[in-house]
Amino acid sequence: MRYVIDALIVISLFFALAGVVGMLRMPDTFSRMQSATNITTLGVLGVIVGAILYTVFVLHNYEMTVKLAIIGVFYIVTNPISGHALAKGAYKHGVRPEKEMEVNRYEEDLGE
Amino acid sequence: MKIDKERIELKKARFPAVISTAIACFLFWLLITGQLVMLLEGEPSWQVLVAGVLVSTGVALFSAKFFIHSNPFYIWHPKRLAAGLFYCICVFPWELIKANWDMARRAFSPKLPINPGIVKIPVELESDYGLMALANSITLTPGTITMEVTEQDGRNYFYVHWIDVTADGEEGTQAICGRMQKWLRRVWK
Repeated sequence: MRYVIDALIVISLFFALAGVVGMLRMPDTFSRMQSATNITTLGVLGVIVGAILYTVFVLHNYEMTVKLAIIGVFYIVTNPISGHALAKGAYKHGVRPEKEMEVNRYEEDLGE
Repeated sequence: MKIDKERIELKKARFPAVISTAIACFLFWLLITGQLVMLLEGEPSWQVLVAGVLVSTGVALFSAKFFIHSNPFYIWHPKRLAAGLFYCICVFPWELIKANWDMARRAFSPKLPINPGIVKIPVELESDYGLMALANSITLTPGTITMEVTEQDGRNYFYVHWIDVTADGEEGTQAICGRMQKWLRRVWK
């Protein structure tokens, strides 16, 4: 079981690394936000699932398990809301990518 | 833009709505006090349980009107609850892992193969909760961020920022959230 837990944490570290690399390499704000989602989903959830398994199979402390699960649930419920707000706020504020976007329906419809 | 302007009427909470909210609050109380494990082992602390019933009823009295506007026991239907759980445990994590892997591949590949754009996709869900669940699922999967929800001619549309635009309109819906929408439709209208 220890190996599974360690593997989960290593996997989530890998995705966190991927998120950071992506954030540095992406050309504009919105693409960077996309890359940051890597960290905030599997980067965190992998650690939480690993910790849940650790509390169940190693510590045998179920209260901790429940609390970790609640952290995970709240994380999932609240995280995307800041995502919507940031993306919309940045767009309304006039942040545009340097390169032309493939399609931009939002601009077309905002103009009407 | 209709959804933004629409004011949700806050009527006085009716009794079934309070009961439904109280059940949810009580389940949460069981989880957070660690009583669920004790209940399964057969030795719950009655003091804590009674306190939980009182507190959750009290909270529900004040907060039911914010959560429930139409059918109070809609979500407690076994079929919907099972579909929702299945969605949370199997469907959504699988989509999440796939999208994460895709995004990690893009970040590490030397050529940086991205093709970003904002597409407008029609969705078939109607209720507030359904739209919220789908929009949040889309934002949580790396590679797509929902930017706004609008309604046009009786249909709901999402504006989605997509890192690799390959389709628009109906095909975009299938590519971005086809499976998630299929499962969420079994839970919410």
